[in-house]
Amino acid sequence: MAEIGLRSISKSFGSTEVIKSLDLSVSNGEFITIVGPSGCGKSTLLRIIAGLENQSTGDVEIDGNVVNKTRASERDLAMVFQSYALYPHLTVQQNLMVPLKLRRLSFLERFPIIGWFMPNRSSKLDEIVSKVQAASETLQITHLLDRKPGQLSGGQQQRVAVGRAMVREPVAFLMDEPLSNLDAGLRVHMRAEISELHRDLKTTFIYVTHDQAEALTMSDRMAVMMDGEILQLDTPHEIYNNPSTIRVAEFVGSPKINILKGECDEKGNLNCFGTKITDSIKLAQKGNVSVGIRPEHMQLVSSKDKNVIKGKIVYRENLGSDIFLHLTVNEGEQKIIVRSEPSNVINTAVGDQVMIGWDEQKVMAFDVDGENITMQ
Amino acid sequence: MTKSRSHIWFVSPAVLLMVVILILPVFVAGTFSFTDYNLGSQDFRWIGWKNYESLGKFSSYKKMFTASLTYVVIVVPVSVLLGLGSAMLISSLSFGGEFYKTVFFLPVMATLLAMAYAWEFTLDPVIGVINKFLDDGCSVGWFYKFFTGSWLGINPTESWYGGLCNDRMPNWLGNKKYALGSISFIGIWQAFGFNMVLYLAGLTSVPRELYASAEMDGANSTWEKFKLVTWPMLGPTHVFVVTITSIRSFQVFDTVEALTRGGPSKSTYMMVYAMFEKGVKQNLIGMGSALTIVFLGFVLILTLTQVYFINRKVHYS
Ligand SMILES: Nc1ncnc2c1ncn2[C@@H]1O[C@H](COP(=O)(O)OP(=O)(O)OP(=O)(O)O)[C@@H](O)[C@H]1O
Ligand SMILES: [Mg+2]
Repeated sequence: MAEIGLRSISKSFGSTEVIKSLDLSVSNGEFITIVGPSGCGKSTLLRIIAGLENQSTGDVEIDGNVVNKTRASERDLAMVFQSYALYPHLTVQQNLMVPLKLRRLSFLERFPIIGWFMPNRSSKLDEIVSKVQAASETLQITHLLDRKPGQLSGGQQQRVAVGRAMVREPVAFLMDEPLSNLDAGLRVHMRAEISELHRDLKTTFIYVTHDQAEALTMSDRMAVMMDGEILQLDTPHEIYNNPSTIRVAEFVGSPKINILKGECDEKGNLNCFGTKITDSIKLAQKGNVSVGIRPEHMQLVSSKDKNVIKGKIVYRENLGSDIFLHLTVNEGEQKIIVRSEPSNVINTAVGDQVMIGWDEQKVMAFDVDGENITMQ
Repeated sequence: MTKSRSHIWFVSPAVLLMVVILILPVFVAGTFSFTDYNLGSQDFRWIGWKNYESLGKFSSYKKMFTASLTYVVIVVPVSVLLGLGSAMLISSLSFGGEFYKTVFFLPVMATLLAMAYAWEFTLDPVIGVINKFLDDGCSVGWFYKFFTGSWLGINPTESWYGGLCNDRMPNWLGNKKYALGSISFIGIWQAFGFNMVLYLAGLTSVPRELYASAEMDGANSTWEKFKLVTWPMLGPTHVFVVTITSIRSFQVFDTVEALTRGGPSKSTYMMVYAMFEKGVKQNLIGMGSALTIVFLGFVLILTLTQVYFINRKVHYS
């Protein structure tokens, strides 16, 4: 277990700045997810923590010690790569033995041929084999130990990669999109398994992904990263319900949050194309704002007793458990999505004129700079 | 439904060419190897296995096998390891790699026959630049000390180089002791650039992430990463490089013909040169054919070994 700290880390490749003065503290045993769109610098950040890449400026700390000069193999972190990076010429068992052999056997004991004659080698090897056995039982891969990685399915390879990371009991796990090569069903399953592994091992996990569903379901805290900066670091609940900026709000949540153009007055009244949305904006300033309402906080209504927006259904997306209605509002000027239970919208069809209501408590507003002015 | 026969017309030119150009000559050579046919003579006799028996009987053929095998055993490992080493060094360079690649590949592109004459001048016992250099070295204190081993406490006049200084510099191509070594040296000089290019291609296919993974697993030296990643991941390349180099070394001819003609006292009497001497120079087609068949046998064994390894050992998926 370890605390990991990043102190104003930046990284440039030539003239392109990939990471901009980034700070992050990960506490002991925490599961933290770094989530962001492709190319925002997540892998680069993880490689800097691992020591596989040198930062341009700033410090990496592990348990309070600055490890800028410590090479990757001596930081005692384990990493699971996106491509798994298993050694294709070794069996699963040999793959799992590699980190232990490299750390527990001396140079001579590892040397080809000479090693066979070293006195302590066989007792150390027995110990290693039993560790590997224990790890493979945890991950339920004992029946695969004699196979080569090329003879395994994607999910099995993923387990072996996790196994290779955990056999030597590192102080922290770094995972770079470990589930991105798996099919949707297996991904959901492995999400649960990795969370369970974290509960069992109680070790620090830093998990990188571009899939916000993984971040929301697995992490204690998640960091939303864009263009080399962390925009918000908080619990999944807070990030979803209280995004600090419009970019975070748009990134997190599927389908994407509906953004409407609106105006606000000093009293906290919020209007969109003439319709009053809410009257309780906290940090109200007079001016143009962007109004954000999540699709599940909108619904079709029948009566006009509350404020409603009129819209026309242009597309109907049936997911079985939910139906996403794509609508145009404000005379076709803007598009929104409403997420609804199938039973509520059973009679709707493309082309229908409908009325849309919303949950006033959940409305968010962002000022012209994209800052959230509704912070709940 | 009538079965179309057009496919026969499509494949027949290729099959015909293959038979005429590749299979028939081997078959003809195989047939001739059981005769005493001489080019120019009107008829020939079937003499059974006599040609093959004489391969085991005469000392010149025994010397031929010794020379060929020694040459292969020297040239293959040295040029393969040099090729691998230089490929790894070049691929680790951040700049200048293209320059080294070009320089090391030059001997491969140059005509070996022309290069052989250049080597003849270089290795000439009197006017050759190598002997001139060694000669001059005798009077340079530190050079003399270093190469005689006197800095290790060895008596300088008893060492190899000290002896040469007192006597005269070796006749690299004319002396039985040195000729095969010199030919092998030229063979290595010529072959390693080619191996280097093959290894460079092999190295680019090693996934970068495996090195990162090895580093995370605790491989903190170049040697450990080489052992864990580079060497095994080059498995298919090793098999190909070793086979190709072995076959090409068995085929060595130009340097022998240009520099030693199999001499002195048959110390560089290589197989292909023997085939040429018997079959072409002396018109002993029967004997030449027998040599050809044995040679093809060697190549076949090498190729089958390669196929075996490719299928069994180095195929990871
Ligand atoms: N070695 C390098 N040289 C130059 N630029 C690089 C290098 N490595 C990464 N980059 C750039 O840095 C940026 C961030 O890359 P990084 O791999 O960290 O993205 P990522 O967030 O992991 O994306 P993904 O989700 O696609 O894996 C990219 O724009 C990439 O082009
Ligand atoms: Mg990445």
